[in-house]
Amino acid sequence: MEYLVSLPFTILEIPNLKIKKPGWLQRPSAMTMFSFVLLSYFLVTGGIIYDVIIEPPSVGSTTDEHGHSRPVAFMPYRVNGQYIMEGLASSFLFSLGGLGFVVLDRTNSMDSKITPKLNRILLLAVGFVCVIISFLTCLVFMRMKLP
Amino acid sequence: MWENIIDNPTGWKKLIIFVILLLAWIAGFSSRLFAVIRFESIIHEFDPWFNYRATAYMVEHGFYKFLNWFDERAWYPLGRIVGGTVYPGLMITSGSIHYILHSLNIPIHIRDICVFLAPVFSGFTSIATYFLTKELWSEGAGLFAACFIAIVPGYISRSVAGSYDNEGIAIFALQFTYYLWVKSVSTGSVLWSTLTALSYFYMVSAWGGYVFITNLIPLHVFVLLLMGRYSHRLFVSYTVFYILGLVMSMQIPFVGFQPIRTSEHMAALGVFALMIIVAALKYISSKITKAEFTFLFKLGMVVAATTVFLIVVILTYSGVVAPWSGRFYSLWDTTYAKIHIPIIASVSEHQPTTWFSFFFDLHMLVSMFPVGLWYCLKDLTDTRVFVVLYVISAVYFAGVMVRLMLTLTPVVCVLSGIAFSLIFDCHMKEEDTICKEIDAEIEKKKTVEKVKSSRKSRSSDIQRNDANIDSLGVNFKCIVIVSAVLILMLFAAHCTWVTSNAYSSPSIVLASHSSDGSRQILDDFREAYFWLSRNTDSNARIMSWWDYGYQIAGMANRTTLVDNNTWNNSHIALVGKAMASTESEAYNIMTSLDVDYVLIIFGGVIGYSGDDINKFLWMVRIAEGEHPKDIREGDYFTERGEFRVDSEGSPVLLNCLMYKLSYYNFGELKLDFRSPPGYDRTRNAVIGNKNFQLTYLEEAYTTEHWLVRIYRVKKPEEFNRPRVPVSNRKISIPHTFVSKKTANKKKGLIRDKPVKRKVQTMNS
Repeated sequence: MEYLVSLPFTILEIPNLKIKKPGWLQRPSAMTMFSFVLLSYFLVTGGIIYDVIIEPPSVGSTTDEHGHSRPVAFMPYRVNGQYIMEGLASSFLFSLGGLGFVVLDRTNSMDSKITPKLNRILLLAVGFVCVIISFLTCLVFMRMKLP
Repeated sequence: MWENIIDNPTGWKKLIIFVILLLAWIAGFSSRLFAVIRFESIIHEFDPWFNYRATAYMVEHGFYKFLNWFDERAWYPLGRIVGGTVYPGLMITSGSIHYILHSLNIPIHIRDICVFLAPVFSGFTSIATYFLTKELWSEGAGLFAACFIAIVPGYISRSVAGSYDNEGIAIFALQFTYYLWVKSVSTGSVLWSTLTALSYFYMVSAWGGYVFITNLIPLHVFVLLLMGRYSHRLFVSYTVFYILGLVMSMQIPFVGFQPIRTSEHMAALGVFALMIIVAALKYISSKITKAEFTFLFKLGMVVAATTVFLIVVILTYSGVVAPWSGRFYSLWDTTYAKIHIPIIASVSEHQPTTWFSFFFDLHMLVSMFPVGLWYCLKDLTDTRVFVVLYVISAVYFAGVMVRLMLTLTPVVCVLSGIAFSLIFDCHMKEEDTICKEIDAEIEKKKTVEKVKSSRKSRSSDIQRNDANIDSLGVNFKCIVIVSAVLILMLFAAHCTWVTSNAYSSPSIVLASHSSDGSRQILDDFREAYFWLSRNTDSNARIMSWWDYGYQIAGMANRTTLVDNNTWNNSHIALVGKAMASTESEAYNIMTSLDVDYVLIIFGGVIGYSGDDINKFLWMVRIAEGEHPKDIREGDYFTERGEFRVDSEGSPVLLNCLMYKLSYYNFGELKLDFRSPPGYDRTRNAVIGNKNFQLTYLEEAYTTEHWLVRIYRVKKPEEFNRPRVPVSNRKISIPHTFVSKKTANKKKGLIRDKPVKRKVQTMNS
């Protein structure tokens, strides 16, 4: 047995390898984890699986009374149908709302001595506007979809 | 003494928590009653009818009879072993409630228990959610989460009054199992993990979704091991839970030996083995030096993981372990069901989810829960790892199937509860003055807002002490809080609106609004089933598409060929083939299956879109899967690939049985003055094949709005008899009576007149 195992090595020279744990492999920080999760959340809530299976067009089109075809972003009055773009747009809004709250939280937990007051107020305003915009736009979108 | 009681802050806190949970229960219960108030106390939809029938059988005949019940009225001619193919938890739950109430001399009909079971359990769910969130974060977050889950549409959709289905109690079992698990991980006591296993047992007996727990808990343990968070607590809780849970879950007849034989359960076994190895390594490490140990530890981990994996793979290939069943496989390979198992893909609740369903079912929670996730990730503990994994897997599954939105909803509520509680915490650490004026404003609002007031009183209590300098403007805080309250109000309004409009239809009784706004009730389904139960033979066999099998069995009490328990694909395909072939071919199939009546749903008169013509393509697909030579989906489309019923439709479609049964005599029907005769309102087209007669079937009954049409299958001697020339006909003349009364004999004669006999008496 011993002989058999050592047989190839009479011809081959064992390379001097040193396998070490790659430097980039370490426990990801909370922020990276969160961004990964948020990205996948963005895709899933946008109905990416629906897009893969059903394969809808990215934007629909309709013909108006003059016979011209116009693009339509939303599949109207269909609860269980969507176009690709509308799904992505709305899941972008969902994520925007979530990020707005995270920004609010970050601003509040910042040290008030380091950051200037103007910056804080700006950041707060940004977070707040994100939340409000995403929420109101989602409501508008919902109105468009409802029969 | 009284002052003591009033000043005691913990007492007040407990009282507030209790009151809020009670209010959440009441709010959740009452918002699920729309269907009962609008219609009546009735079982909804399809599957609940089977559950109700089984429960009624169990209450009537006893539990052991129920376990051995062989139902010969389903899946004719195969029959169905009901006791071995159901999750009996639901029936046992309502049966035991019935038993307890009756032993207390409260005579309540089992139907009412079945109708109100899900709303009552929604209250238990919100309490379980409160405990889970409290264990993960804080009491305030728990109260938020409890209130969210009480009214969130994603959960209401499966638990309105009358929707007597497994999910109604299973979500409670799910949340409660997770609470006990989290508790047992954080304490490491055998008691809690035994309780976890017990609750898991209840979940297994209630719903097939228990597989979610069987995979999520091992995943949690595995991730904790990877993160180097092994502890004795983890070891104790997982090993106790796994062994007890395994043994107990095998007591359910329907589950049987699956936990050790199918791939869905193998992850739990693998993690169990890994856990043992890790524990052994830890023990060895206490005996040897550190350098040796690190080497051994890593080696052991790798070796153990690979061996377990390899063993599972080898066993799967050698056939000892069953591979993933199609239903679970379609969760990973999302296009699998579409290609291979049309019967799974045909169910509308197995469709992939669009963005709108997410927003419709969760409203603002959908953008709130990443925030809660963010807080959890920022401050990770053993238990919070669990909720993070829970939400990641549940979001993915919810994206694959609309139906699994149900498992996503509870964790979304938990995380949003955490997020909201922290937002209010953060923006309310200020003087009481602000709090008070908002207090006054909020106190009037509904239950959801009730939570905040408690939060507020708590947070102001706490925050007053640490008077940290905060440069945030008071005005700004006010704005944030007011807008958060506004969002919550909109959420509550949305939930109520969705519940009342989208999820409270029994779908047996339909309601429509006429032009003047008055409400019309279309009760065609029950009309048809009542007709069946009154006018057909008790052993008559009814053929219909499988959607209506449970309803026919439940309401008409007749034998069906296929029903919603879609266990036999080829039998369903046979029915689909009969519907999709011409009348004469279908007649052969129907005689071979002893069909007496055919029942179809037709919505063309009232514009009901869920009828059989719209489902017809699925029948064709399923039939094609089993009989690819006889049925081809392409034949039913026009050359341009359209599915249409008007004169341009494909001739195969216009002559198949389903088409003829749906549109029999419909060509002469003129619905109103504007539309031509034979105008189908569902598909907005004039039908293509108008004047035809049926040879092998005859119309037996059509309901008021033509929603249900029932046809009788003629016996072979009733049709198509060969014509015999008049000269060859043998006419047997029946024995005719000729009166003997002639003109001479005026006196009438009575035939078979009793003869009087003289009785000789012994007079001497």
